[in-house]
Amino acid sequence: MTNSHASGPWRALRWTVAGIYVFVFAPILITASVSFNESNRSLFPPRGFSLRWWDRAFSPEWLEPLLFSLQLASLTAAICVTLGTPLAFALTRWRFRGRMAVAALTLGPLMMPALVTGVGLLQLFQIAGARGSIGFPALLAGHVVISLPFAVRCVGISLQGMPHNVELAAMSLGARPWRVQWEIVLPLIKTGVIAGAVFAFVHSFTDVNLSIFLAAPGQIPVTVKIMGFLEFGFAPTLAAVSVITLVVPLIVVGIVQWFFGLGDFIYGDAR
Amino acid sequence: MGTQAGFWRWAALAVPLGVLVFFFALPNALLLSASFLKSEAAVLTDELTLENYREVFESRLFRGAILRTFVVGVGVGLLDVALAFPLAYFLVRTTSRWKGVLIALSLAPLLASVIVRTYGWYVILNRNGVINESLMGFGWIETLLRLMPSTGAIIVGLAHALLPYAVLTLMSALNAINPNLERAAMSLGASRLRTFVHVVLPLSMPGLIGGFLLCFSIAISAYATPAILGGPATQTIATQIYVNMMTLLEWALGSALAVVLIVSSMAVLLLTSRVGAKKAAP
Repeated sequence: MTNSHASGPWRALRWTVAGIYVFVFAPILITASVSFNESNRSLFPPRGFSLRWWDRAFSPEWLEPLLFSLQLASLTAAICVTLGTPLAFALTRWRFRGRMAVAALTLGPLMMPALVTGVGLLQLFQIAGARGSIGFPALLAGHVVISLPFAVRCVGISLQGMPHNVELAAMSLGARPWRVQWEIVLPLIKTGVIAGAVFAFVHSFTDVNLSIFLAAPGQIPVTVKIMGFLEFGFAPTLAAVSVITLVVPLIVVGIVQWFFGLGDFIYGDAR
Repeated sequence: MGTQAGFWRWAALAVPLGVLVFFFALPNALLLSASFLKSEAAVLTDELTLENYREVFESRLFRGAILRTFVVGVGVGLLDVALAFPLAYFLVRTTSRWKGVLIALSLAPLLASVIVRTYGWYVILNRNGVINESLMGFGWIETLLRLMPSTGAIIVGLAHALLPYAVLTLMSALNAINPNLERAAMSLGASRLRTFVHVVLPLSMPGLIGGFLLCFSIAISAYATPAILGGPATQTIATQIYVNMMTLLEWALGSALAVVLIVSSMAVLLLTSRVGAKKAAP
C-alpha cells in the first residue's frame, strides 16, 4: 500500500487535495484578515493594521444579537435532547402501530427546506393572532423543530450501539423500569445525548434560512443581523463579527470533542 | 407489551409529537392551503383558486427564478461532486497519521454559518475584491470585471458552503469499497488509472449520485447566498419567496412558490433514498 502511495497519480491526487483545501479555507481566512483593515472598506490584502473594527464588533450593537443567538441556541439544544430522547427510543427500540408516521414527522424537518418551515411558522403565528410571539418564542419553536432530527439521530445511534440485554439484566436483578432508564440506560447513551445537543446548538446558531422570517426588532439572531447589514454595505466590522460567530461553535465543538469525542456521530449522520 | 406500558409510551411521546404537529405539520399545512387561496390586495380571502400557481408558472419573473434555481442546483451538485470525489477518495485511502485532522478540517466549515462563508466570497468577488485588485495589479486586465452579482457567483458560493455534505456522502460510499478490489485489479496488471476508471468509479456511483442529489436539494432552497452574491437580475425561488412574503406581503404567491420548492426538493430526496436503497442491496 505504501509504495503505491509514492506513485505519480497519488502525488497528483495529493496536490489536487491541497488545492481543494485552499478553496475551502481561503474565503474564511480572507474574511478574518479583512477585519484588520485600516480603511473602512473590505480590502484584501488588508491596508495597514487596525483593531478598531474589532472594537466595534464588541460594542452592544453586535454583542446583543450574539448573546441572543447564544441563548436561543443553548435553549434549543436543551429542548431538543429532552424531546428527542423519547423519540429516539420510540424509533430504535419500540415496535408499535404508527411508527412510520412518527418517523416521518421526526425526520420531516430534515427534508423540508428550513425556509419553508420559517414561512409556515410566520403564517401560523400571524393567523393565530400571536403576532407578539414573533421574535424569541417563534424563533425558539422553529429552531427546535429544525434541530430536533439531529438530536434524535445522535441518541438513536448510541441506543443502537448499546447491547439490549443490559436493560433485561438490570430488570431481572429487580430494578424498576424508571430506575433502569435513569441509572443504566441514560449513562450509557450520555455521549449520544451530548453529541445531539452539540449538533442542535450548532444548527441553531448558524441558521439563517428560517430565522430571517421570524426575527423581530430587538430579537435578532446574529446571522440575520449580519445578513441585514450585508445588503447595505460591507464594513470590516462585519468581518470581525463573522469571525466571532465562527469561533463560538468551534469552541463548543472543540470542548465536547476533547471530553467525549464526536466522530462516530458525524459518520452516523452521513449514513 | 401490556396496555399500561403502551399508555406510558404514548405519554412520553405526547409532548415531542405535539411540538412537531403544532410547529411543523400545521404551519406546512397552512402554507399549502394558503397557496390555493385567492389574494386580493395582499389580503387572503376564503375563495379557492389555482390562480397563484398559474401566475408562478406563467410570469416571466417567476419562470426565470425557477429556471435559475435549477441551474444553480445542478451547477452546485456537479461542482461539489467533482471537488468532493478526489478529496473523499484521498481521505479514505490515505495512510497519513494526519488522517483524522484532515477529515476534521474538511468538515470544519460546517461550523461556520453560511453567512460567514458567503461574506468571504463577497470580499473575493466584488468590484474592488481580491480577484479584480490582483488582476489589475498584475496589469492583466484594463477594466474591472463584473464577477457579481451573477449566477456563477451564486454557484461558487453555494458549492463552497455545501461541499462538506458531498464529502460526507462520498466518504461513506468509498469506505464501503473493499480496498482489496483495487489491489486485485492492480496485481492483475491494470494501471492505477485503469483501476480507477473500471473499478473505483463504477463502485462509487451511488455515492456520486447521492452526493449530487443532496447538494442539489439543499442548494435550491438556500436563501442567504443568492441574496448576497446575486442581485435583482439573478432571482431564485428562495429570494422570490422572501420578497413576496416579507416585502410585498403577497402570501398566496409566496406560498405557491414555497410549494414548488417543497415538491422539487422532496422529489429529489425521494430519488436519493432510492439510490441509497440500491446501494444497500448487495
